[in-house]
Amino acid sequence: MNRRDATGRAVAIATATLLLAATAGCSSARDAGVAAVVKRFYDAVSEGRGAAACALLAPRTVAELAAAGDDCAESIVKLRRPGAVRAVQIWGSEAQVRLTGDTVFLHSFPQGWRVRAAGCRARGEEPYLCVVGG
Amino acid sequence: MRRFVRDQALSLFFLTTFGLALAAQSIAGNADYNARQIADGGAPVSWPAYVTSSSFAVDVAENWQSEYLQFLLFILVTAWLVQRGSHESKPPGREGPESERDQRMGPYAGPDSPGAVRTGGLRPFLYSNSLGLVMGVIFVLSWLAQSVAGTADYNAGQLARLQDPVSWSDYVVSADFWNRTLQNWQSEFLAVLSMVVLSIYLRQRGSPESKAVGGPHDETET
Repeated sequence: MNRRDATGRAVAIATATLLLAATAGCSSARDAGVAAVVKRFYDAVSEGRGAAACALLAPRTVAELAAAGDDCAESIVKLRRPGAVRAVQIWGSEAQVRLTGDTVFLHSFPQGWRVRAAGCRARGEEPYLCVVGG
Repeated sequence: MRRFVRDQALSLFFLTTFGLALAAQSIAGNADYNARQIADGGAPVSWPAYVTSSSFAVDVAENWQSEYLQFLLFILVTAWLVQRGSHESKPPGREGPESERDQRMGPYAGPDSPGAVRTGGLRPFLYSNSLGLVMGVIFVLSWLAQSVAGTADYNAGQLARLQDPVSWSDYVVSADFWNRTLQNWQSEFLAVLSMVVLSIYLRQRGSPESKAVGGPHDETET
């Protein structure tokens, strides 16, 4: 690679990084809000406040639990509380919060972030396998 | 005012149609996006939220980059390659950048020629290639914008499907990026091929993009 190519590539990468930062920059400002919803969710779960935890689920996730014959408030408190938040990623209306021992997926609704799936484990390139949602 | 409109009518027509088509795309795109959101269990978004989203940006940018690439290639390749009989081609034998005399540069510049062609050094070289350079820069920037917005849009889809997001460097070698890119490129190249070949045999009376209706098929002079 000659010097001009290297300079051009560096400029392209810098530009892309800036644009990506601009695109994802808004999400970094929202990271705390997403992490706070996950904390409220697991606080409710670990304190046995099932109804409060279910209020933070996405409507589709609540409907899936009901379709499976599960009572949301009773089943949700069986989730195991994970460790600390390790990473938050927000892309558009979707978010992923990685915690020690768990991954949570959320969607942005007009009333705020709601949990799409929780208690999720990675399965390579396949979608995560989740205890709730998915 | 009337004279201004008449003199700039071609630009004004395409500026207006561009604006109308972009606005219509944003409305149709918003409806399509919201239908997918609802199907995935998500919430629909407002029009302002949609037109500032990565989903709208990637759909716009992927078409822009391919259009600018099409014209960039058309501008550059037609300098070096000819098609006998095509209205879009120079006559055979005139391939290449041509002489300063043919291009009215340097000592052959006229009193009304742009100032850049009467000077020496880098300026006339840059001006000689300014059309291709500007189209090329817009192409590269549009393609870069497609890759950035595409990364964001792809990752939103990944998260909605409970899959991990990817980095920009992974996205630009992904099937999604190249599928979006190549499906636009192939259609642009086909459109150019059609113009080059069909203009040999077909006519559009009054259009500068066509030979005179009575022009012979083997006439290449534009």
